[in-house]
Amino acid sequence: MNVIKTENLRKVYNEGKGNEVLALNGLSLTIDKGEFTAIVGPSGSGKSTLLNIIGGLDKPHSGNVFVDQVDIIALEENERINFRLRNIGFVFQAYNLIPVLNAKENVGFIMLLQHEPKEAINERVDELLTSVGLENQALKRPNEMSGGQQQRIAVARALASRPKFVLADEPTANLDSKSTAALLDIMEQLNEKEGITFIFSTHDQRVIDRARRVVTMEDGTIIADILQAN
Amino acid sequence: MILKIAWRNIWRNKKRSVITAASILIAVFLSLMMRSVQLGTYKSMIDNVVGSYTGYIQIHENGYWDKRSIDKAVVMTDSLMNKVSNTKGVEALLPRLENYGLLSVGDLTKVIVLNGLDFEKEQRLQDIEAKLVNGTLPKNPKDIMIGRGVASFFKADVNDTVVFLGQGYHGMLAADKLHVSGVIDLKNPALNKTTALMSLEGAQHLFSADGIATSLVIDKKDNAPLKSVQKVIAGKLDDTYEVMNWQEMMPELQQTILADNVGGLLMVAILYMILIFGIFGTVLMMTQERKYEFGVLVSIGMKKGKLILMVFLETIILSLLGVLVGVLLAYPIMLWKHYDPLVLPGTEADMMETFGFSAEIPFYIQPDLPMVHASLIFSIALLVSIYPIVIIKKLDPLKAMRG
Ligand SMILES: Nc1ncnc2c1ncn2[C@@H]1O[C@H](COP(=O)(O)OP(=O)(O)OP(=O)(O)O)[C@@H](O)[C@H]1O
Ligand SMILES: [Mg+2]
Repeated sequence: MNVIKTENLRKVYNEGKGNEVLALNGLSLTIDKGEFTAIVGPSGSGKSTLLNIIGGLDKPHSGNVFVDQVDIIALEENERINFRLRNIGFVFQAYNLIPVLNAKENVGFIMLLQHEPKEAINERVDELLTSVGLENQALKRPNEMSGGQQQRIAVARALASRPKFVLADEPTANLDSKSTAALLDIMEQLNEKEGITFIFSTHDQRVIDRARRVVTMEDGTIIADILQAN
Repeated sequence: MILKIAWRNIWRNKKRSVITAASILIAVFLSLMMRSVQLGTYKSMIDNVVGSYTGYIQIHENGYWDKRSIDKAVVMTDSLMNKVSNTKGVEALLPRLENYGLLSVGDLTKVIVLNGLDFEKEQRLQDIEAKLVNGTLPKNPKDIMIGRGVASFFKADVNDTVVFLGQGYHGMLAADKLHVSGVIDLKNPALNKTTALMSLEGAQHLFSADGIATSLVIDKKDNAPLKSVQKVIAGKLDDTYEVMNWQEMMPELQQTILADNVGGLLMVAILYMILIFGIFGTVLMMTQERKYEFGVLVSIGMKKGKLILMVFLETIILSLLGVLVGVLLAYPIMLWKHYDPLVLPGTEADMMETFGFSAEIPFYIQPDLPMVHASLIFSIALLVSIYPIVIIKKLDPLKAMRG
């Protein structure tokens, strides 16, 4: 069963300004439940653009995006924000925690926005903090944690509300190799244990090696799509 | 939760928040002090005039206030007195009989205003006994009490005899020998030189005007609104009477106060204008430097409405903090200076007293003053919040995160 289906996505930047960029050129991609997929390709090939459109943060000029059968392009702003809240977990390249909240509060924040009961939040947050190995950092604020720790908290936050899938745009770009490995361990574990679908873009060969499916992009289209065993 | 985040956000940049709250505090403090003195001055001026001179409302025969002639006097019929006394908000009715005449002692003669008062009732408005320099209040119908200036003009003192000569009601002759029972200081040189007081009966007898008064002064209850009491009374009386409030009787005072008040309000307006820019600067920076964060929050599913509420709360809390501390600092000083009033120094005191006002200025402490200023600051906070609201409404999370 597919969670994500894009059909013929086209995205043009700076349309009619002379410096037009065709960021996505008729891209179609289907992602099934439980996948652990890397989107790779040279800089400027359209990876971020694709993830943003799938996540409903951006709109294509033409083509369709279905997330769980829902046409997210047709939703109006608040509906789309709400849809993201309930279905999609985001991990960005950096600095995406709320600075005034501690680790625990950051992880619980999305569930709070969903008006989940306090006990349920606490239980889930503790469980996730343990999963990402940061149960003893629960009361630290983001600026008291390392970049790798922050990213692990960000993954925990993205997973808190049990989204359909997690989108991560170069989640390891700012991490050293040890933190990168630790983050991937956690993502892999959560993927296996909770069946969460992960889609992440990356330049890092070590990250690519650990993906089960590698989608390679160039100039806004898919030029290779392979399954690999590891 | 939103409140908690807002609160923590305020303390992210402690220095800036403290400076902003402090500037609000100072503006509120200064405005309160300034307005408290000003409104206190007006209140004391009005109390002075209203208390010792006009009362809040007076009833005369139509045209009396212009002409000041005893022939335009009111006959105090029971029906008239009852009608007025039974009006809601009326505490008491004080009849006065005022007339001009000549006062002589030996070769000296002087024009004075003789005022017949019901001293017992008059006590409600003013403490005449406290103004006595010498002697007692008039006890007999032929007792007279003279102003300090009158006394020094005649070199007269208590127990001297003076002669009054004038015209009574409807052209009757009014002449009698009177006994000086007291000398009074009306705290106003002009009045002191021209005023003499008698009992109401004494004056009525002297002017052949039994049962007659030139004015009926109304002492209204403190909480009764002036204009509506005036209106109700005017409605009960036919147009042979005029019902005037102190503002109509003393338009100069009213105008002086208005003119001065405009100046004060202008100062406050300038102070708050500066404050608007100060708060706006803070909010502007707060918003600009956090666009990235707003982008993340919207991306992970925070509705813009909630985000707006959060930023709005930050501004409101910061403002209220400033207001609260400002009021808490100002109010004790206002209270202190209300009960232990500011006394104007030398020349200013003389000037005030020349115009018949007291040199003591009790600060104005009615709670409406801090309320007004708190709501002003609140409105400024609302106004300034428009900026982040617009920014968030227009926010594209992707652009915001790209920086
Ligand atoms: N907001 C924008 N305005 C104009 N052009 C843009 C914008 N965003 C992306 N582009 C262009 O669209 C193309 C695809 O960009 P995108 O960010 O998707 O690439 P990417 O594969 O994520 O690159 P990288 O690996 O460097 O992150 C690029 O040529 C880029 O210059
Ligand atoms: Mg990118």
